[in-house]
Amino acid sequence: MKILVIEDDVTTGDYIAHGLREEGHTVDLIANGRDGLIQATTTAYDILIVDRMLPDLDGISIIKTLRGAKNLTPAIFLTSLGGVDDRIDGLNAGGDDYLVKPFAFGELSARVAALARRPQMQEQESTLNAGDLTMDLLRRKVTRAGVEIDLLPREFALLEHFLRRKGRVQTRTMLLESVWDISFDPQTNVVETHISRLRAKVDKPFDKELIKTVRGSGYRIEE
Amino acid sequence: MKPTLPDFRKFLRSTPLRLTAGLVALFALVSLISLGATYLIVRDSIDSAMQDDIELELSVFEETETATELGELVKARANGIDPEQRIISYITPRGRHFGNGVIPEARDKFRIVRLSGDDDRHEGNYLVRGEDMHGGLLAIAISREQIDDLGELFVNILLLSLLPTTLIAFTAGILIARRSAQRIDAVNSTLNRLAEGDLSARVSTLSGRADDVSAIAEQVDRMATAQQSSVEALKQVSADIAHDLKTPIQRVSVLLSQASETPDLPARLEDILAQAGQETQGIVATFQSLLQIAQIEGGSPKGRFKPVDLGALAATFVEVYEPNAEESGHILIADLPAIGTCIVSGEQVLLGQLIANLIENAMRHTPSGSQIEVRARTLGQKIELTIADTGPGIPADERQNVLRRLYRLEQSRTTPGNGLGLSLVAVIAELHDADLELGSNHPGLSVKIVFDSASDHTSVPTL
Repeated sequence: MKILVIEDDVTTGDYIAHGLREEGHTVDLIANGRDGLIQATTTAYDILIVDRMLPDLDGISIIKTLRGAKNLTPAIFLTSLGGVDDRIDGLNAGGDDYLVKPFAFGELSARVAALARRPQMQEQESTLNAGDLTMDLLRRKVTRAGVEIDLLPREFALLEHFLRRKGRVQTRTMLLESVWDISFDPQTNVVETHISRLRAKVDKPFDKELIKTVRGSGYRIEE
Repeated sequence: MKPTLPDFRKFLRSTPLRLTAGLVALFALVSLISLGATYLIVRDSIDSAMQDDIELELSVFEETETATELGELVKARANGIDPEQRIISYITPRGRHFGNGVIPEARDKFRIVRLSGDDDRHEGNYLVRGEDMHGGLLAIAISREQIDDLGELFVNILLLSLLPTTLIAFTAGILIARRSAQRIDAVNSTLNRLAEGDLSARVSTLSGRADDVSAIAEQVDRMATAQQSSVEALKQVSADIAHDLKTPIQRVSVLLSQASETPDLPARLEDILAQAGQETQGIVATFQSLLQIAQIEGGSPKGRFKPVDLGALAATFVEVYEPNAEESGHILIADLPAIGTCIVSGEQVLLGQLIANLIENAMRHTPSGSQIEVRARTLGQKIELTIADTGPGIPADERQNVLRRLYRLEQSRTTPGNGLGLSLVAVIAELHDADLELGSNHPGLSVKIVFDSASDHTSVPTL
């Protein structure tokens, strides 16, 4: 994918660009707001990663200007501000996702992947599969290797979330946001505990592990 | 706008109306006193003139030698006198009556007597004086009609001058009071908006002369402008600090993660790097909480408030924390009402954070085996959210302290946490105009938060 990173801090910018290139993306890195806006309007990108506080022109103005010009390239805001208002301001300006600094690269990478393939999520399916596991969305039943697995509603939702995003890493914060609608970071490791509960039902009684831990990022179900 | 009864009561209590009433009352009292005094002086002078008159009359009759002579003189004098004005009467020792009317016994001193003649001819009040003369009783009475008329005259003057003056003064007072009430209301509503966090509120459009009210309005505006710019400065400073501190923290976490990706890293170094990473996260969490508290206190406008189902929100968090509670041996119980019954107006993310902080706080500070109960219920127009545990609780004299920033109980020094959880809860509760109450759960801590219900909101809850 072709990604534009507008970030004025050299260390962070290089780190992001380097990481994304290692994942096989083409990355342009720009350190100032006005040049970033010009670059974004003159070249077609798949994803924009924009810092909110930039010299010359701030991130919010860049995305507002682009949206005003009917440029709908998915955009992720990077920000030092994590307040509720800041988040809402960012999303209202036309941002698609919002990442508060400091963040691990895994978090950004997972969100880039999520944004890039977002349209696929619109598909209407009645069953979801992964290996020998089948989820029947209409009858709300999960079976693995012919054995029915009894899941609580939220465990079902968590597994469904992974199955709909097969192969893509889901970070703790992404899971909190989409499964529980929680957009702040609880101090307790709640996600880990829910995952381990799900694993106890879905993975433990069987040979092969379906829900994989991705070190430093999150979890995913293999395709 | 139709004035309601409380409006009217408020209006009656307004300063201009009270001043008007006071002034009118004072004016009426002074007029009353001065008119009364004038009346008394005039009356006394007429009275003494009448007394002199009677004395003079009596002295004329003293010239006579015998009762018969006196009787004849009385008869002669009384003949041409209208008894309505003056009555002269002499009763001889033998009981014969001379004069133009009968006067009841009145000797030596002046008396005021009410006479009612058979023919109505001399009904009314008279000043009477009698004197023994030649064995009989000579009495003279002068009508006090003049003085009675004077009283009426003064009452009329009073009514004619005082009543219209009072009415005019009152009407003018009410008009002025209403006008100034509008001006004061403008100032009041601006102050309310400022208190609710709308720092752009100004009185400015206050109409009318430059008087003390408009001077206050100007002061309010000036104060609001100063407050707005200092809040904006504070916001700018927090944003700057956030940026200037978070960028290096971001770099540190970048460097740490790069270091941990080094191939063939000794296990010990890997541990150290992981620990450093965790410490960085701790710094960020503390920093983020402080920043958030400052942002909320800095006057986060309430314009973004939406109806939030507090019961449903609490249910979500009970569900989120349930596995962790079970793992740490806590019993997490929910006593929550049906969806759609506990609606408050607020910011869902912050309310969620409030509930999460209270549950985490309870889990952190109570031993394994403790019970943590999350309750929500509707009480009339109020909604009560309670998170109660059966742990060691907080001593009564420490309960206010734990709401302070970075304050930690001595017994909690060794448990994780940054001492900001409850301060954030307090700030969020205050933002929502909710009363926060730390009490005892006998045993344990009970945190009760009482919100205003928003159930009569016309909009549909967003949750």
